[in-house]
Amino acid sequence: MSNIIEISNLSKSFGEVKAVQDLSFKVKRGELFAFLGLNGAGKSTTISIMCGQLKKDSGKIVVDGADLDKSVDKIKSELGVVFQNSVLDKSLSVYDNLKSRAALYGISGNAFKDRLNELSELLEFNGILKRQVGKLSGGQRRRIDIARALLHKPKILILDEPTTGLDPQTRKTVWNVVSQLRHQENMTVFLTTHYMEEAADADYVIILDSGKISAQGTPLQLKNTYTGDFITLYSITEEQVSLLDKPYEVIRDAYRIAVPSTADATKLITKYPDIFTDFEITKGKMDDVFLAVTGKRLTGGETK
Amino acid sequence: MSSLSALIRRNTKLFFKDKGMFFTSLITPIILLVLYATFLANVFRSSFVDALPKGFNVSDGVIDGLVGSQLISSLLAVCCVTVAFMSNMLMVQDKVTGALSDLTITPVKRSTLALGYYISTAVSTLIICFIAVGAGLIYLANVGWYMSVSDIPLIFIDVFLLVMFGTALSSIINFFLSSQGQISAVGTIISAGYGFICGAYMPISSFSEGLQNVLSFLPGTYGTALIRNHTMNGVFNELSDIGFPSEVIENIKDGIDCNIYFFGDKVEESTMYLILGGSVVALVAIYIIINVLKRK
Repeated sequence: MSNIIEISNLSKSFGEVKAVQDLSFKVKRGELFAFLGLNGAGKSTTISIMCGQLKKDSGKIVVDGADLDKSVDKIKSELGVVFQNSVLDKSLSVYDNLKSRAALYGISGNAFKDRLNELSELLEFNGILKRQVGKLSGGQRRRIDIARALLHKPKILILDEPTTGLDPQTRKTVWNVVSQLRHQENMTVFLTTHYMEEAADADYVIILDSGKISAQGTPLQLKNTYTGDFITLYSITEEQVSLLDKPYEVIRDAYRIAVPSTADATKLITKYPDIFTDFEITKGKMDDVFLAVTGKRLTGGETK
Repeated sequence: MSSLSALIRRNTKLFFKDKGMFFTSLITPIILLVLYATFLANVFRSSFVDALPKGFNVSDGVIDGLVGSQLISSLLAVCCVTVAFMSNMLMVQDKVTGALSDLTITPVKRSTLALGYYISTAVSTLIICFIAVGAGLIYLANVGWYMSVSDIPLIFIDVFLLVMFGTALSSIINFFLSSQGQISAVGTIISAGYGFICGAYMPISSFSEGLQNVLSFLPGTYGTALIRNHTMNGVFNELSDIGFPSEVIENIKDGIDCNIYFFGDKVEESTMYLILGGSVVALVAIYIIINVLKRK
């Protein structure tokens, strides 16, 4: 797979604050790429620079072969952005909003009507076209935000914390649509999120901390590198667990042991077959990765 | 071009749909109407009657026409600028709501976005001000009509130019605003203050000489004077016809800002047009340049 985004040595400061420091990474075409980090980590700054809204201090950004310094308009027409908060005009109807935004990409007349039909079918908003955006529910509004981002058939869809504040059902709907789009149109999705389970589903994850990359890799690579495995043992006594001579955690009806790797887990199981009669092995979670990498815990948009 | 027209349609629709912004833009004209209804009309009337030379009798119709045309000119002069400021608040609201980010991620040039705000503000303001001109003319037809046919297109031209000026000035000032609080502050200052500095509440000639000299540097002053000259031209002709000496008429014109003096020199009408037109061109150019240069 070729790279659709290549960022090298990107830096940006606001006065004394170094928002992004020497950032370099690549995004492959068609993948779901996740940017993980606390508020102020540099995620939005990076996106704003990519979208041509902020000037960079140094570095190079190439999107689909086009250099940001030379072809910002070409890059803009290949990016679709879903902002964290809806930025459509609340007092205008869904139709008027989409029509006015489409015109900014040169889409009007029949071309607009055709695209509107496609999107309203895909995102199921045909029945609310005449309603004011300000009167829509959170889920409906999010669907219109996505439709707006897709009006010009972008190659890259940037989702800036798209599901923050949405109910679980709407979050699921949003992800179903995004997943469908990726497969139908081979669209690259660039995601920033606070939700670990969303990052866990990504093809590649970068963890940003204070404007720098703290860790990067596939979720599996990150878990293998920064967390161990967990063995959960059922139907045994605490006396039996203590025989293993490993630190353990008591959970409701079982005991959980942390082991450095799957190989270590295998060794332990083969050494004590009588104890391991009812058990399961799980990988560490992205929360554990984030904690190990940054020393900070991040859950559902809030730090702990 | 389709991008620009789409932006103009969007901005204009938003202004008229936002009842808060629309009615706030009418606050100053409404204040002026209230002031007029409560005491300004009487002040204008008595100051005019007191200024009449002995031996001259003027009919109530002429006095009503004079006071009415002065009110209309004040109202229009205020409307052209304050409505423009309020209508142009959309560019600040777009920053506050984040809509501006949604517009700037498109391939549309910043100069096009800037022009979109400028033209839509001018269109919204012109719609309101032209309606105000129409209402004013109907009012004058009822209280005392002395205008000639040639005055009417000139009033429309004056209003057009002053709207262009108000829009350009508000575009530059609003460009630097970025919060709801700043919108309210500037809105309040403009609504409350512009009526004074343009001579709507009281004639500039009644201010101190120093202040008069300062105000003579403001292009809006000449816009007000142009409108006032053209709304009141018919009444002055009538006064001349009934035998008022030209010196007396000139004195009245001095007293109600039909004549503007730049450090003692009377500014001709053609010069007023040049000043107003030139300042519109200069302000629009500055506005476009600061927009193009803006990228943090």
